[in-house]
Amino acid sequence: MTLFLAGIGLLIAGAGSGIVFRNRPAGDRRLVGLIAAGAVLAGIPAVQVLRGGAPREIRWHAGVPGGDWVLGLDPLSAVFLLTILVVGVASAGYGAAYLAAERGHRAVWMSHTAFALVLAAMALVVTSRSVLLFLGAWELMALGSYVLIVTEHEHAAVRRAGLLYLVATHAGTLALLAMFAVWSRAGGEWTFAALAAARPALGDGATAAVLCLALAGFGVKAGLVPFHFWLPPAHAAAPSHVSALMSGVVIKTGIYGILRVITLAGPPPAWWGWTVLAVGAASALLGVLWALVQHDLKRLLAYHSVENIGIILIGTGVGALGAASGQPVVAILGYGAAALHTLNHALFKGALFLAAGAVVRSTGTRDLERLGGLARRMPLTWLGFLVGAAAIIGVPPLNGFVSEWLVFQDLFRAGQSTGGAGPALRLAVFAAPALALVGGLALACFAKAAGIVFLGSPRSEEARVAREAPAGLLGPVLALALACVVIGVLPALFVRPVLLAGATVAGQAWAGAAASVGDVLADAQRISILAAGLFLVGGLFWLIRRLALRRVRVRAGETWGCGYPLPTPRMQYTASSFAAPLAAVFGGLSGVREHRGATVYHSVPMDPVLERGLAPLWARVERLGLRLRPMQQGRLHVYLIYVVVTVVALLVYLVVAPVR
Amino acid sequence: MAGATASEFVSLALLLAVAPLLPGVAARTRAILTGRRGAPVYQLYADLWKLLRRGVVYSTTTTAMFRLAPIAVAATAVLAAVLLPLDGTGGLLRFSGDALAFAYLLGLGRFLLVLGALDTGSSFEGMGASREVAFASVVEMGLFFAIATVSVMTSELSLSGMFGAPPGGAGGGGLRAGPSLVMVAAGLFGLLLAECARVPVDDPHTHLELTMIHEVMVLDHGGPDLALLLYGGAVKLAVMSALIVALLVPRAGWSLPLSLAALFAGMLGVAVAVGVVESATARLRLLKVPLYLAGAAALAGFGLVLVVR
Repeated sequence: MTLFLAGIGLLIAGAGSGIVFRNRPAGDRRLVGLIAAGAVLAGIPAVQVLRGGAPREIRWHAGVPGGDWVLGLDPLSAVFLLTILVVGVASAGYGAAYLAAERGHRAVWMSHTAFALVLAAMALVVTSRSVLLFLGAWELMALGSYVLIVTEHEHAAVRRAGLLYLVATHAGTLALLAMFAVWSRAGGEWTFAALAAARPALGDGATAAVLCLALAGFGVKAGLVPFHFWLPPAHAAAPSHVSALMSGVVIKTGIYGILRVITLAGPPPAWWGWTVLAVGAASALLGVLWALVQHDLKRLLAYHSVENIGIILIGTGVGALGAASGQPVVAILGYGAAALHTLNHALFKGALFLAAGAVVRSTGTRDLERLGGLARRMPLTWLGFLVGAAAIIGVPPLNGFVSEWLVFQDLFRAGQSTGGAGPALRLAVFAAPALALVGGLALACFAKAAGIVFLGSPRSEEARVAREAPAGLLGPVLALALACVVIGVLPALFVRPVLLAGATVAGQAWAGAAASVGDVLADAQRISILAAGLFLVGGLFWLIRRLALRRVRVRAGETWGCGYPLPTPRMQYTASSFAAPLAAVFGGLSGVREHRGATVYHSVPMDPVLERGLAPLWARVERLGLRLRPMQQGRLHVYLIYVVVTVVALLVYLVVAPVR
Repeated sequence: MAGATASEFVSLALLLAVAPLLPGVAARTRAILTGRRGAPVYQLYADLWKLLRRGVVYSTTTTAMFRLAPIAVAATAVLAAVLLPLDGTGGLLRFSGDALAFAYLLGLGRFLLVLGALDTGSSFEGMGASREVAFASVVEMGLFFAIATVSVMTSELSLSGMFGAPPGGAGGGGLRAGPSLVMVAAGLFGLLLAECARVPVDDPHTHLELTMIHEVMVLDHGGPDLALLLYGGAVKLAVMSALIVALLVPRAGWSLPLSLAALFAGMLGVAVAVGVVESATARLRLLKVPLYLAGAAALAGFGLVLVVR
């Protein structure tokens, strides 16, 4: 743990260097250097734990109320810590290059400092084993994220998104406070170990309250439907390296929280598993559907985070059901799949957001209808985006496939369960077709995003004159894309550590669990064979095509336009029209307003939860508030009367109320 | 490859060789039923040979994506065949959850094909791409209803275990005749028509761009590229029909020649059925296609309800 603490120290020193060097160029390099060095140091013990080393723990008698401060590193913490550090370093390097151009007119150092602090806070969130330390790190992370989101605060939309985020995250924290309060009623110190020991004394009702509050409180951070409404505006408003960090990593702390609560509370009741599974399926389906109808590149990616959080929760939910039904293999695979998809989503969503940032930097717009043809102008950015897109839709040979493969086979295993677990657990198999539909819709969505932005002809002058991004932006994009390929081609290296984490959550000793999930490890190696076969057969067909083309005439010409002689880029399919068939299939659920005319078709997306649910609700609250307005006369004697009335009412209550 | 035997290689090679016959059989059936003589059943072989020697025109709008798409379509279809237990026992490659690899390999081919279409910047190809991805997402869901049904029925996790009878494997012959099996097979056939761009979802013989789905996506492809696309499509048809045959004709314990003969007879039967459907029904209006697909998926879904309860 010394290495871990030293790493955290370097991250905080990085934040300090931002304050010291302010906007001097040397400051950026020192900051990135310190963050990278800190990440390496803090990452070493995490790797050791995942390679089968003993879990670490460090305890410090802080002398504050609430007991000792404890930091621990078990496989679950290690998976999340490594996810945070890898994406954190890539985004930090990208951020230094991304914001360098704005040094003249913006306090860039403030953003960098907040970035380093958020990284350190997240590292503490996933390792903290005492309540106060956890909540403190949680708040530091939330507030630091707010500073990062409002980097471009001169725009009203950015300020609004920041405020929405701030309100949502604190509503979530409130639920967490309530959860810890209920949980700790059973007595003991405010450490996680004490909470775990006190859980059996809680009783069913209190346990149910704890689990539901955990799902709500952590769910707000993770962006589950219907708590996702803050996420798309916030992630779209932030600078792209911040979007990558927020979408890839920060929301995963919510997932970590849910998995940690399961670890501490023991096998959850079946109804809670079903709730998680249902919420996960709803988030996945609605998230991808709403992503599909977006025309803002970054909002589209943000809604996909809602979808992927849903997939992670499907894994978590089926794992919880397996644990509740006494099926350890189902539990370990489900939790392990959730952990692996957490890592994978961080990698490909990081690559996608960073590539999107390069597009925004080169064209000045996030509007799909104004982009197009960037593959010729920004080939390396395109490569990074394409790999990320293929990974997120879950096709082999990329990393998204590996984690979805674990989720699917776990659903199948649940579907085959027999004996006492019986028909109830078997019903979980119905999540498999739902997940397949989600995969198909994600394919549609990324065909649209990749195709409209990068292929075809430019739809605007900005897109026509776009230039390739500088190396400082391309490096992190390509590094994350490469990580997606490595996990996809060599999954066996990564499946074992996440199953270790899954066994931790399920409360199973690895020695016993290894035998039962051993065939999964062997099967992961067959995915490598599949990947090799794909490259081999693809290469063979490439060779055939090449040999055939050598003998024939290859000419350049115009795209076939049915004989029409004057094609313009405006004739291309637009983002609106591409999504139109699926928006029609899902009707009102997809939340688009369509504008149809003889010569135009255009659709405007909106968030049904925010605009049909929360906004009217708040408007009603506001109207009620206005009715109370006559109470506020602004005269002192009226307020004195209120005070007297209140005091009298309280006295009456004290007299009447039974003494306890 | 671990555990691969000669019979698995032989059956894969035969499938890849016979695949171009299937569209020909379907077309010939349709011709005969509509009172024409039609092209010979080996027409596609001739077409492929001709296209390989034809020149190509690449639109100046296109990039490497346009050239990659045909290779990806053909390669993913072949890899999907590798996962199927063609000889009645097991596939060349088998692992738990390989059904997902099967579906998502076809998904990878579709993704790159759609991107290749969008690469041309043509409004027609954009239209085809948009329809393809919309309908395919429902097809994928239906496919998983079917696979989940078979997986629960046989208590197996790999396609080889579900549809084949691995020698020495415990779950050989786990398929049970019954209403579920019929529903899954009917649902799969409905999905095959969509996946392989046949009537009533799409029409491989249409010549009006506005009504096409698959054909309009490959408008700008020519020469060897088009040959690869046609071959990939034929292999996909072969793979999907092999899946249906494996479902309906369990061949555990059959000798290899008998097993392969049954497989290819069955596949030809499926191709004939496709031709019969094509001559007996008209293409659906595009707005009705999602309903048709949801119906096919629901059929497989009811199969799942029956085995899970």
